[in-house]
Amino acid sequence: MGSMIAARDSSSRRKNYTQIILYGILICFLLFIPLFFQSPYVLHLFILTLVYIIAAASMRFIMTSGQIPLAHAAFLGLGAYVSAVLSKHVGLSPWLSLFIAAFVAMGVGIFISFPFARLKAFYYAMVSLFFGVGLLQAIESLGKLTGGLAGITAIPTLFNTASKVPYYYCFLALTLVSLVILYRFEVSRIGWNLKAIDQSYLVSSSVGISEVKYRVLAVAIGCFFVGLAGGMYANYNVTLSPSSFDSSVTLWMIIYVTIGGMNNFSGPIIGTAVLFLIPQYFSGLKQYAPFISAAILFLVIFMFRNGLVSIPGLLMAFYKRKKSTSKSR
Amino acid sequence: MAESTILLIVATIVNALVLSSMYILLALGFTFLFNIMGILNFAHGVIYMIGAYICFYMATVVGINQWLALLISVAVVGLFGIFMERFIFRPFFGNINSIIVVCIGLITVLVNAVAISQPYNVQVTPAFVQGILKVGIVSLSWQRIVFFLIGVSLLILVLLFINKTKQGLQMRAVAQDLEGAILQGINVHFVSALACVIACALAATAGSLMGSYLSLTPYMGNDIMIKVLEILVLGGIGSINGVLFAGLIVGTLDAVLPIWLSGTATQAIMMLIIIVILLFKPQGLFGKEVRA
Repeated sequence: MGSMIAARDSSSRRKNYTQIILYGILICFLLFIPLFFQSPYVLHLFILTLVYIIAAASMRFIMTSGQIPLAHAAFLGLGAYVSAVLSKHVGLSPWLSLFIAAFVAMGVGIFISFPFARLKAFYYAMVSLFFGVGLLQAIESLGKLTGGLAGITAIPTLFNTASKVPYYYCFLALTLVSLVILYRFEVSRIGWNLKAIDQSYLVSSSVGISEVKYRVLAVAIGCFFVGLAGGMYANYNVTLSPSSFDSSVTLWMIIYVTIGGMNNFSGPIIGTAVLFLIPQYFSGLKQYAPFISAAILFLVIFMFRNGLVSIPGLLMAFYKRKKSTSKSR
Repeated sequence: MAESTILLIVATIVNALVLSSMYILLALGFTFLFNIMGILNFAHGVIYMIGAYICFYMATVVGINQWLALLISVAVVGLFGIFMERFIFRPFFGNINSIIVVCIGLITVLVNAVAISQPYNVQVTPAFVQGILKVGIVSLSWQRIVFFLIGVSLLILVLLFINKTKQGLQMRAVAQDLEGAILQGINVHFVSALACVIACALAATAGSLMGSYLSLTPYMGNDIMIKVLEILVLGGIGSINGVLFAGLIVGTLDAVLPIWLSGTATQAIMMLIIIVILLFKPQGLFGKEVRA
């Protein structure tokens, strides 16, 4: 993590018209995706990508404060299971249980992060990993409610149609709103304070930033959104099983963030889109498909140390250097 | 005391000792890598799995003696350690996020390669030592006793190496202060490669032995990796005494708790115990200040 200076440069840059136009084109493209791709399977992949984008972006938000939340997939699972149990066994509307799940995940996040705020760096990462494993085991052992290892089935869905198009638009809207909120947090004073704590918790507490308060706040905000993503996943996917939320999923989420670029807000978004969708294209290779993901990982991590978002900057620098050398000749 | 109770107690003690010694072998290698290169090698569990499979392959398909297969497995995986140091760890010195990504890449490649080439899910390496030791009413398999003795003797060898030889001194110097060690003319890359080879060889030994004690699956590295992380965090990352002590605790809990509890509950309880200990001692039992 360390340097967040690049993020500061890009976010405090004045928004010019080209940027707004580019975002407009991107959102228009996303709006027209159900028209381009009629196949329900492709749409299913896009919907899952949206869910994981919220999860990865909220994970990066926690990581800006110098904490590596290795329990994040377990929180995704917590949100999913809370929403599933509330809408199936209690009979609440899925729309309500979705947000209750987000608040439950936030509550658990706050509850654990007060004691965990004593732990630094690797210790925080490892203890949160253990907490995640323990949380998942607890969910698994509540067999009556959650179905144990076999999982929970027949969860009430958000819409009463078999079509996936309403889900796509609904999740797109939720994802955009979540991302805007996370972005506003990041460029606000809270975001700067979190980055200050990451760089030096001693210096930041000496200028009056409460380390515990802001670390808890980061976890609370991150867990709220990951709980929301979990609820969306549960009430879309109809079935849940604990294996979709184990510690390897957390590690993949870290990979989405790192491959996309840790220092930039768009990093987890790009990373998730690339690493989730491209291997699916090769899913015809069956058991050889994981090698494609591994190849992408090695390629990106050895060639672009700061992630995929650094590619335009590198290209610009290369172009400028070429121009200046040709001038000097 | 009833006869069955005595049998249970003896069997549990032996199990605890065998498990502890194997866990400690793995965790010790992990600690070496952390101390000397400042990296968390999440692929350590996969190295262990590869060691187990090489030994299995040599012993069953090629059909040589198990002990020779063990030596070949240790040698091959040790050489792989040199490769890992040069091409995987050296470019990402101390960058935890990138190390996680590279390790996951390595895990994905190796686990899937093994899973594709070994279609049968559960396999067992033939026993290294046959026969049963009988003392009064208690009977124990020689294999467990031999495994425990191997584990302990390797531990003593490694500790002697660190504390008595020149290379061990260099390792300790690098672990203490990297720049100071470079100024003294210590070849840091050589020391890192040596640490990597030792770590991988220890993991391969543990894997080969456990392949006969338990069973082989391509995913056997995941569970043991969690155990290793538990030991490290409990003992304090980077502390060798901590590894020995915490390894005994975790191994004992692992052998004792399943008597009363189911598998998943054991895991959950162990996590709970470790989290509670860490909340009172945030740096682990023997840990020093974290270098952040």
